[in-house]
Amino acid sequence: MKRTLFIILIVSALFLVGCGNDSGNGKSKDNENTITAWAWDPKFNIAALELAEKAYDGEEEIELKVIENAQDDIISKLNTGLASGTLKGMPNIVLIEDYRAQSFLQSYPDVFYELTDYLNPEDFAEYKVTPTSLEGKMYGLPFDTGVTGLYVRTDILEEAGYTVEDFTNITWDEYIEMGKDIKEKTGKYMMTVDPGDLGTIRFMVQSAGEWYLDEDGQTPTLANNKALAESFRVYKTLITEKVAGIHTDWSQLLAGFNNGEVVSIAQGSWITPSVKAEESQAGLWAVVPIPRLDIPGGVNASNLGGSSFYVLNTDGKEKAAEFLSNTFGANEDFYQQLIEEVGAIGTYMPATTGEAYKEKDAFFQYQEIYADLTEWMEQIPPVNYGVHTYAMEDILIVEMQNYLNGQELEKVLENAQKQAESQ
Amino acid sequence: MGNRTKTQTIGWLFVLLSTVLITIFYFYPMLQALLLSFKSGMGNNLENVGFSNYKRLFSDPTFIAALKNTFIYLLFQVPLMIGLALVFSVLLNDPKLKFKGFFRIAIFLPAVTSLVAYSIIFKNLFAQDGIINKFLLSLSFVSEPVQWLTDPLLAKIVIILAITWRWTGYNMIFYLSGLQNIDRSIYEAAELDGANGFQIFTKITIPMLKPIILFTSITSTIGTLQIFDETMNITKGGPGNSTVSISQYIYNLSFKYTPDFGYAAAVSFVIVILIVFFSFLQFRVAGDRK
Repeated sequence: MKRTLFIILIVSALFLVGCGNDSGNGKSKDNENTITAWAWDPKFNIAALELAEKAYDGEEEIELKVIENAQDDIISKLNTGLASGTLKGMPNIVLIEDYRAQSFLQSYPDVFYELTDYLNPEDFAEYKVTPTSLEGKMYGLPFDTGVTGLYVRTDILEEAGYTVEDFTNITWDEYIEMGKDIKEKTGKYMMTVDPGDLGTIRFMVQSAGEWYLDEDGQTPTLANNKALAESFRVYKTLITEKVAGIHTDWSQLLAGFNNGEVVSIAQGSWITPSVKAEESQAGLWAVVPIPRLDIPGGVNASNLGGSSFYVLNTDGKEKAAEFLSNTFGANEDFYQQLIEEVGAIGTYMPATTGEAYKEKDAFFQYQEIYADLTEWMEQIPPVNYGVHTYAMEDILIVEMQNYLNGQELEKVLENAQKQAESQ
Repeated sequence: MGNRTKTQTIGWLFVLLSTVLITIFYFYPMLQALLLSFKSGMGNNLENVGFSNYKRLFSDPTFIAALKNTFIYLLFQVPLMIGLALVFSVLLNDPKLKFKGFFRIAIFLPAVTSLVAYSIIFKNLFAQDGIINKFLLSLSFVSEPVQWLTDPLLAKIVIILAITWRWTGYNMIFYLSGLQNIDRSIYEAAELDGANGFQIFTKITIPMLKPIILFTSITSTIGTLQIFDETMNITKGGPGNSTVSISQYIYNLSFKYTPDFGYAAAVSFVIVILIVFFSFLQFRVAGDRK
């Protein structure tokens, strides 16, 4: 009797397992036109994808299914999924941040579908092509730009006796000098930085055409890196002169400028919607190029963040590539809508002469901010982000603490170099 | 005889089922992880590297920092929590205490909250403009906001406070149930002999609860060695590496940086070794040597 019960149990367990398999297979065959995409940020990336689905006018019928995930979750899902060696359950299209792109492309060869035949690399901003390519082949479709801008509160500047021109195309030292004066007169911080996130250092280094790694994307160049050393010096001066305050998470950064406690923001252009979210400050803001590092090669333009779309080597890859190529890779009108409806600035250069890019934004005193940002985008020095961005940065975060606590700059960077090499 | 073989077969079948499942889902992955820890490389491009992952551990400052932090959590947090849980449970076990149910629930409730949710609440409480700073400022205890999360020492204290808040009630429940098994007549006898409250606590309660104290300290040690959610959500391991834990480092190696699953597996075996070592130590120190 007991044995029969046991057998029934085993059989039903096997049956359940079988069921699971069936439904798994059934789903993908369910609709051959369905393309799934993983992305984060419903107001930005996902909105852009949905807009693209509407704009798509290719021959094949396509139904786009966007699955929203936090960026960190996408990374861990991709890593666990791809490491297991199977592409089951993976999407057709996935959004990957440019800083991480090489890490995925090199860690999982043959997993990504080559897009070279589906787009023209020369159509995209130069700095965007390097991270999305591997061995001369293009694997990613460049999406949004993280071109940096210095967003300034014109009214506070005026109150302290400065104009927007005073902050246009300046060096960081000039910024700090004026910042000290403004801090004294108004009591407000010029900007805030997060000690646990070296985004500020990241875009400063790139603004001088340098990076944490050599051009090969592998060899760490933390010591004897003029741009990095100068960025460290500027960062420390910002904090010790109390020109920059501290925030410890994203919401505090947003609250800082939305509440009017911070005079300027140096971030990627994707911060624009967050600035505009505080409607009471309409007409008080302007955007100028970020300050430059006072070293040879330093320019008033850089990049912070930004991501691109990748197609996985699964069933439906041609359709997915076709979809991306038809929209993000060719459709100029689509990019106009992208600006008007989502506020996202793409990196597809032929579209930048369109009407939407010339829009005068009332929030920014009728400045043509999209035209300006696009102009700066073309000046971004291209660098190879390589494979270790965040590992390098975690080393630098620790050494930055040591530097802020009084250790010598040369020594901390040499220490960082040693740690980076031992990895 | 035939009947006996039958019972035995059925018995073995039952054991077999769990043995097979445990082998497949525990021992096999452990073995694979051990093999993995002798490989290294980016993502799927793994190569055999012998012991070099284990050698790398000794010169890896992040790993050493993580190990040190985890030990600090262990040394301060486990005794603090066990002590508090003991005190609470003895207080709550007092038959004269009113609203016993209310207090018991109030102290146990943190243990049912989600790890991530409570971590985020702690992060906000101790933020620069959080309620703790506002409270201290308004009472003029401090003149400017305390840098709870960006000062290396204070950040560790916040983490320890958070884990203690979350797990004290959980351990208290074990002690409460243990206390209810102690015969009241022992206490009455002690009182008749003129023992004071402290003597009763140290001479009767603690020895009687010894197996439970052993159990809770082993589970707490294991839990603390594996601490992840709190450091990940409250401080992200910062400032610098001053709150990063071993588990968080494993996560970073596999998911934050370019994945090196081999080295991550080697780090995870350090946790295994530590847990085995500490459990053994605690058994030797506190356990019955029968």
